[in-house]
Amino acid sequence: MPDLSNPGPIGSLRSGWSAEVGDYAIDSAWSANGEVLVVGDAAGGVYAFEGRSGAERWGHAEVHERGLLALEMHPDGALFATAGQDGCVRIWGAADGEVRNVLDLGKGWAEKLAWSTDGRLLAASLSRAVYVFDLDGQQIWRSEDQPSTVSALAWAGPGELAIACYGRVSFIDVTSNTLLQRLEWKGSLVSMVLSPDGSIVACGSQDNSVHFWRRESGEDSAMHGYPGKPSALAFDGTGTLLATNGGPHATVWSFHGEGPEGTRPGVLKLHVEPITTVSFARRGRRLASGGRDGVVAVWDLQMDGDGEVVGAAVVEEVIAGLAWRPDGRGLAALDGGGGVTVWRVGS
Amino acid sequence: MNAKQKVPVTILTGFLGSGKTTLLNRILSEEHGKRIAVIENEYGEVGIDQALVINADEEIFEMSNGCICCTVRGDLIRVLGNLMKRRDKFDYVLVETTGLADPGPVAQTFFMDDEIREEFMLDGIVTLVDSAHVEQQLGRSDESTEQIAFADVLVLNKTDLVEDDGLDNLEARLRDMNRMARVVRSEKADVPVDTVLNLSAFDLDQVLERRPTFLEPEYPFEWTGVYPLQAGRYELTLEEGPDPEMSLVVKAGQGGDDAALREGAEWCVRRYAEAADDVAPGASLEFERHVSLQLQAPGSKSFFLDVQEAVQVGLYAQHTAEEFDMKLIRVDDGAVVPAEAERVWVAQHEHDDEVGSFAIECEGDVDPERLNVWLSELLRIRGIDIFRMKGFLSVADDPNRFVFQGVHMLFDGQPDRPWGDMPRLNQLVFIGRNLDQDSITAGFKTCLI
Repeated sequence: MPDLSNPGPIGSLRSGWSAEVGDYAIDSAWSANGEVLVVGDAAGGVYAFEGRSGAERWGHAEVHERGLLALEMHPDGALFATAGQDGCVRIWGAADGEVRNVLDLGKGWAEKLAWSTDGRLLAASLSRAVYVFDLDGQQIWRSEDQPSTVSALAWAGPGELAIACYGRVSFIDVTSNTLLQRLEWKGSLVSMVLSPDGSIVACGSQDNSVHFWRRESGEDSAMHGYPGKPSALAFDGTGTLLATNGGPHATVWSFHGEGPEGTRPGVLKLHVEPITTVSFARRGRRLASGGRDGVVAVWDLQMDGDGEVVGAAVVEEVIAGLAWRPDGRGLAALDGGGGVTVWRVGS
Repeated sequence: MNAKQKVPVTILTGFLGSGKTTLLNRILSEEHGKRIAVIENEYGEVGIDQALVINADEEIFEMSNGCICCTVRGDLIRVLGNLMKRRDKFDYVLVETTGLADPGPVAQTFFMDDEIREEFMLDGIVTLVDSAHVEQQLGRSDESTEQIAFADVLVLNKTDLVEDDGLDNLEARLRDMNRMARVVRSEKADVPVDTVLNLSAFDLDQVLERRPTFLEPEYPFEWTGVYPLQAGRYELTLEEGPDPEMSLVVKAGQGGDDAALREGAEWCVRRYAEAADDVAPGASLEFERHVSLQLQAPGSKSFFLDVQEAVQVGLYAQHTAEEFDMKLIRVDDGAVVPAEAERVWVAQHEHDDEVGSFAIECEGDVDPERLNVWLSELLRIRGIDIFRMKGFLSVADDPNRFVFQGVHMLFDGQPDRPWGDMPRLNQLVFIGRNLDQDSITAGFKTCLI
């Protein structure tokens, strides 16, 4: 074999640091100002690394028995929540790794988490039900059982929660326990994302399509032609661009002007195996994509969704997740071998 | 070829009370050194520490295109996807379905979802059958029929509750519905673990090794004996047997080798298609006529055969000689004439059930493009009724055997090992509902070069 050793990052990605967790890295998030990066793994461990150096600040192996499934940073960047196969949700301090609360939802997998934008409420799903807690860990609401396991959660506005499962997305005001809207589509909705103002709902479907609705009019459209299932979706900060996986190319739909109906999406070609994750930087039209091929690419996009690659790097394992540092000057990649790689990102 | 080792999955189906839980506990408690993950849909029945048992509600997800063949088990996609992320991976996965489950969506999940397909391989479908109650269930529900039709292994359980005759009849009926499956009998689900795990059930080689006759054509007769006879009178004696009458054709000039027997069998099929003449005991038999020996009387019965000059005859009988202790005796000296050759054929059964199976076996090279067009059209029109399909193809200009399998309209195939010295052949098996064997066979033959 020729020497195929990693050539190092190119373009706007510059070497930063790398670290290891105990197992397949599942999810991660940066605390306020990028002070620490917290990472959860498939063995249920949770670890925090110094944002600048990558030194481990604290770590706890196998906290969630049988495995961790989700990790979500609180909007203020000081607290975060984890959920796992033990049926529990834990609320942690990012700086010290102290568990503030353990919420036992019951038998089953606690799988999805979402903090409300104002940071006052935390939604968590267990099988077919969704629970909402306040910051003291008091349960303030429980949904009725959905027709299938909840596949995604998102807050659409103050007190308004979106719940996706097989065949439908429901919008519920949890303070008054009122169903505000129900959008239906006969298909297995495997992912969901809302535009930042909550007006557009996009879902990836098991049948290799992306379905979206404009909430005000209830109009919906289906985007077909994906070679794989779009399991990762992301809106940019303005709600103009929707990036999707579903094959080796990232497809970006633009809601600018009349689109995306009747327009051609941007198709970003670089990966040689299916893309596993896409993530927009908090500001600007800068997208990062990661794939089964172990490649991480950074793209600068135009208003029409097309764009060019401005930086790339290779790690040896499947990319499991990407997290932009809040200032957009750092990017963390998690991989299936338990590796955590952080690059500095130039302009 | 895939370098990565995929994790094998066995699907365990069967109606409530058929013994799935007993079998599952048996597999898990045996020392096999495997790390097994069990995904079960009926809560709290299995409690074994060695294995990871995950409860998942059966979630059947249909697609917006309305195609039942695209229906998958959403819970499996979710659970298996998460399981495979762990470093201490599993060697084996067992999926237990609820009693009323249609096995289609479970099997389809391993074809339809790319991520699952990447990591897992469907090793086999094992269906447990409550021997005492399955006949009632077969009449009442499509699910039980489909569980039989989809199976790679049929475990006839609780055999202690049924008479042997009843079991033989049941086995014959199930075999008509599914010629591909291996049938094992048990009392308390006490079957060897290796009959249900690591089947490589989709490997047709193994099926052929176990039952080399399963691709053979069926004949209306079950047995042929070849006898060299001198001129003279012969007595055919039969003791009491399983049937009050038996069809027979006596063919003159029958060779004893395989080719001659096959040729004789093909000729004899046409004689059997003619109406039979009833022949009472004591009467003489005519050559090359379809007769029905009348065997209602108790005790031993005799029929006579007059031979004018030395000839080798073939007796094509509806049952085997053994079943009636049938003997051919020279009248002159009472000597029993031994058969020079004997052959047992795959007997035709009455096909009462809508669900059945058949095989195509033929020589010739397949034109891949024509095959693709024909198969796509067949699956588009009949995909819902074709439950399973598998086989080998001899593809033109390809030194490798092509192996394929399908569930409903999902189809998966790849080049297998080189043909080498093996004779190049196409062998296909179809299992489904109301399948038209003749038109499918004719359609396949149009794909040959």
